[in-house]
Amino acid sequence: MSLVDVLNVTKEYANGEETIRPLDGVSLSIDEGDYLSLMGASGSGKSTLLNLIAGIDQATSGEINVAGTEITKLSRGKLADWRAAHIGYVFQTHNLIPVLTAYENVELPLLLLPMSAAERRKRVEIAMEAVDLTSRASHYPRQMSGGQEQRVGIARAIVANPTVVVADEPTGSLDDETTEQILQLLSRVNDELGMTLLMVTHDADAGKRAKRQIRLERGRLMENGNETTSTHLRTA
Amino acid sequence: MFKFVPYVLKSLWRHRARTLLTVSGTAVALLVFCFIGSVQQGLLALTSDAGADRTLIVFQENRFCPQSSRLPQDYGSTIAKMSGVRDVVPIKVFTNNCRASLDAIVFQGMPPEKLTTARDLSLTSGSMGAFAQQDDAALVGADVATRRGLAEGDKFTIGDTSVVVRGVFQSSVAAENNLIYTHLEFLQRARGANDVGTVTQLEVHLADGVDPDHVAKQIDQEFRSGPVATTTRTKGMFQADTLGDLAELIGFVHWLGYACVGLVLSLVATTTVMSVQDRIKEHAVLQTLGLRPLRVFRLVLIESVVLSTLGGILGVVGSILILSSTGMSVAAEGVTIAFEPSTVLAIQGLLVSLAVGILAGLAPGWHASRTDIVPALRHA
Repeated sequence: MSLVDVLNVTKEYANGEETIRPLDGVSLSIDEGDYLSLMGASGSGKSTLLNLIAGIDQATSGEINVAGTEITKLSRGKLADWRAAHIGYVFQTHNLIPVLTAYENVELPLLLLPMSAAERRKRVEIAMEAVDLTSRASHYPRQMSGGQEQRVGIARAIVANPTVVVADEPTGSLDDETTEQILQLLSRVNDELGMTLLMVTHDADAGKRAKRQIRLERGRLMENGNETTSTHLRTA
Repeated sequence: MFKFVPYVLKSLWRHRARTLLTVSGTAVALLVFCFIGSVQQGLLALTSDAGADRTLIVFQENRFCPQSSRLPQDYGSTIAKMSGVRDVVPIKVFTNNCRASLDAIVFQGMPPEKLTTARDLSLTSGSMGAFAQQDDAALVGADVATRRGLAEGDKFTIGDTSVVVRGVFQSSVAAENNLIYTHLEFLQRARGANDVGTVTQLEVHLADGVDPDHVAKQIDQEFRSGPVATTTRTKGMFQADTLGDLAELIGFVHWLGYACVGLVLSLVATTTVMSVQDRIKEHAVLQTLGLRPLRVFRLVLIESVVLSTLGGILGVVGSILILSSTGMSVAAEGVTIAFEPSTVLAIQGLLVSLAVGILAGLAPGWHASRTDIVPALRHA
């Protein structure tokens, strides 16, 4: 069974009198340990799909199962608990909390989990070491470069050892050299830590780093020229 | 929940100018609230303390200002023979200002031997013996002493009346701490007058179980056909009547107290709303990381409560310090209302600031917790 199953998901929203449907009955399966890149034109709905899988948006119809939980049926509160335990989110604009140090930002997701202070400290140190930012632990976001901020963002996403790490245009606001560092870091997260990774990008070169490349075209998901399907068979 | 307290405090500190302005505004409003509360408590204590119902004040009929009441002192001996009367204290009152004043000086002259039995005073300096032996001696209430910087041995003059301070006292009745006690005869002869034989009022102490209204009627009937007719009321009623205009004003001023609470509410709510609007994206990030909407709501609420409670603590502590160090009072027609700081008032102030903090945080907290994550993440 796949780790993530997206089953016939449609997402619609109103824009004035017009109804926009970025996702039109898409299905997709992601196995444990996969590294997927999701590409497509601007406004094609790739971030929408990522947000649905991350549980921060609601599908209009269809189902999304992650690690055996049908997240489309969870209440807002339960969905928040589920995200804390299962999702690591890397934002395009880093979105670190400006009043917290790098260390405190990375620690933030762990405050929501039942864990001792010593265990938290240990996990934060490991995550900071993984992104090679131990020396910057006490720095505030304003004291760091964009690349360093994004590394802290990645450390924050992996620190709770989530089921899936989702990254929404993680290199979108970085220069070439820093983009390369971040892409290498994401590959390490997948290769060395074995975390399942779903990355949205509009950069074809970045997308090629992933093990699987999927394109979103006119509301449909395409992989190697064919429309993707879910391996999770359901009876209606 | 406490794990996020450092985040809340740091968030407040991020906009420190805004935070400090809100806290100081709240502190000033709570300071005024406590001041108003202290005046109300002072008035309440004056009209409802234990002695207010067991003591009668005999005053000249249709007179209000102490200077205008002139009762024959020997009325006292007639009253003392009445059934249910335990003691009668002749008192001459002199005040430098009959109208409402924040710094009125009120002298009460009475026989020294009566002072010890009729009043519950404890001397913080000086001695009762020294007071009794000197004609122009005075015992000064602690609040007057603080206000006027008086100490034992000082000479104190108001108008043509000069006294020598032979003791400073503290009374369990706050209003008493604003009085200056002298010998009765001294006050009768003061300012070149020869008022020996006349007093301003007679203070009648009743035995337990006696109906004060009955004795009051009896006294007024007794002197209705005498040289000076009297009006006799319980001490509480006398003080309430004397302070009638002032009491009305104080009653009105309590609306200002409510206005202060409203001011704190709008101040803290505005700051909290601004804080939430500034951090729409940040709250969305926190929710993405797994904070439940209810938790976001509580974070906003804590922020609001910290702001108002901090201001509340500063305001309450400030007011207590000012009130207890200055001994402020307001007097009219020789009756003094002490601004009474008290633990109850402090607790009331803190509870008000806490409740206002909760109230001010409800709407912004609700808004922050109900915001959709995805649109909020796109918020600039």
